[in-house]
Amino acid sequence: MDKINNLNYEFKGETIKMKKTKKLVGIITLVLMLSFVLMGCTQTDNKETPNNTENQNTPNNTNTEAPNFDSKKDITVVARDSASGTRGAFHEIMKIKVKEGDTEVDKLVVGALEFDGTDKVITAVEGDKYAIGYISLGSVSNRITAAKVDGVEPTVANVISGDYTVSRPFLLVTKGEESELVKDFIEFTQSKQGQDITNEMKFVGAAESPAEYAASGLSGTIKVAGSTSVTPLMEKLQEAYTALNPGVTFEMQSNGSSQGIKAAMDGSYDIGMSSRELKDEEASELNRHVLAIDGIAVIINNENPVNDLSSENITDIYTGEKTTWAEVQ
Amino acid sequence: MITNNRQSKSNETLMQAVFFMSALISVIAVLAICLFLLMRGIPAIGEIGFLDFIFSEKWGPTNTPASYGILSMIVGSIYVTAGAIVIGVPIGLLCAIFLAEFCPERLYKIVKPAVNLLAGIPSIIFGFFGMEIIVPFVREAYGGNGFSIMSSSIILGIMILPTIISISESSIRAVPESYKEGSYGVGATKEETVFKVVVPAAKSGIFTSIILGIGRAIGETMAVVMVAGNAVMPLSKIKLLKPIRTLTTNIVMEMSYASGLHEESLIATGVVLFVFIIILNTALSLIKARTNRN
Repeated sequence: MDKINNLNYEFKGETIKMKKTKKLVGIITLVLMLSFVLMGCTQTDNKETPNNTENQNTPNNTNTEAPNFDSKKDITVVARDSASGTRGAFHEIMKIKVKEGDTEVDKLVVGALEFDGTDKVITAVEGDKYAIGYISLGSVSNRITAAKVDGVEPTVANVISGDYTVSRPFLLVTKGEESELVKDFIEFTQSKQGQDITNEMKFVGAAESPAEYAASGLSGTIKVAGSTSVTPLMEKLQEAYTALNPGVTFEMQSNGSSQGIKAAMDGSYDIGMSSRELKDEEASELNRHVLAIDGIAVIINNENPVNDLSSENITDIYTGEKTTWAEVQ
Repeated sequence: MITNNRQSKSNETLMQAVFFMSALISVIAVLAICLFLLMRGIPAIGEIGFLDFIFSEKWGPTNTPASYGILSMIVGSIYVTAGAIVIGVPIGLLCAIFLAEFCPERLYKIVKPAVNLLAGIPSIIFGFFGMEIIVPFVREAYGGNGFSIMSSSIILGIMILPTIISISESSIRAVPESYKEGSYGVGATKEETVFKVVVPAAKSGIFTSIILGIGRAIGETMAVVMVAGNAVMPLSKIKLLKPIRTLTTNIVMEMSYASGLHEESLIATGVVLFVFIIILNTALSLIKARTNRN
């Protein structure tokens, strides 16, 4: 009897305990959630205080424009993926990719971030005070700052005059004899109207003395494939062209320079778009039309006090010779 | 009567064919993918050389001579997945236990749909969230530039939560009531019962959930490509707060532009990923076989 009573008692204790545990678990989760939230706050606070004190201690060393900028911190190097046309051109111009006899090696610093699109490069540089990246001049916006290179502002005018040297051609390639329609469209891109659109898009028209274009009244379909960098410009040009020649339709595929060149070579597309120079074996097979010249802008965070970079410094940053902004200034 | 019978019989054969076809389609899909990967990947591995492909950490497809070593990415995938497990499994498991055993009805109605919703969020959204929130947080709190193994692990840890929670929860719920009664009968408290009787009894379901979680983490692409930084790191320089490239991000980063052997080498990367998935699935069926035997 005694035992059974004991058990009963225990069971009652158990149910009370269970209710208590439920409450306890609830309270614990609440406390945990709160502490997570608070932890986030304190951690950012902690980070900010040492920065501030450091700057107060050394007011003469740091730039007065950017009180929160610690130029002794590592530069975040942002690059494009190894198959991008922008990267190919930039790394060649900046001598990051070095040819030595038969070998050609990309000396991009170990640990450089690589992204597969202009938008991601912009987002990464926008979010990191110590970042540097490169994008097409046409994609520069106020989210980031385009730095001067060797003292030259990256503007369309400077690309035209040749003062801003970080640039590459946008090409249209075709194979063999062009059909009348394709010829007419390429004529349009080289005409005054076409070049106006090109300049409006912050690219540099390449035609030397563009003529007025008159609608030809042709009809048919033109298939275009290639570089993602050329695509936005191409879309604008096609829009204007179909407005003049309503009988013409376009089929567009935006899949990268190499794919576009390949498509033009095997004849599956009429026109290939490329944002890089053709390789020798490609050039021998294709007709090459320069659509525009595109500057490549070196972009840095808006809070970065540096605004002029020498091309040697850019090379040094991208190859890992210089790792902090203090070394660059 | 007879015609009726005949009709139902012919109906039956018809439906049987429909079901059979449905089953066949998924088998055909798997076979086609296998064939595609092997037919295009294996020659590439042969051309690069198996050892140079798997055990070299030099990845330079646009260099001349080009090098195609993916060791860094194999290790990267493993690290990122391990990190996701370290973050995701304890949280997921405790959440599952809470949902199955301790959660008040009213709270359950909020938590359970929230977990389900988490499972439905597209991975690109996770990537965006990671790039805008997690990466700056890691940068501020732990240093480095934020694009790192750690950020990827956090994002993946969150992404595998729904898998772990829902499968673990249902396996915990499936533990027979008699186990618990027995445990209470010998005087165990609720906590003792849950942690020493129920959870061990649900072990195989929990392992299954973890393995499916690993599968999800190792195969995830869009979210990782936005937070990992995608740098090919030599093994000696791989650190928690440094960027990393995984097998999946290697493929998605370079596929659009690649041509020739470079493109084939990316398909070969897919073959390696496929081998990982096969290993995971084998582990899964081993666990199932063991549970059935017991």
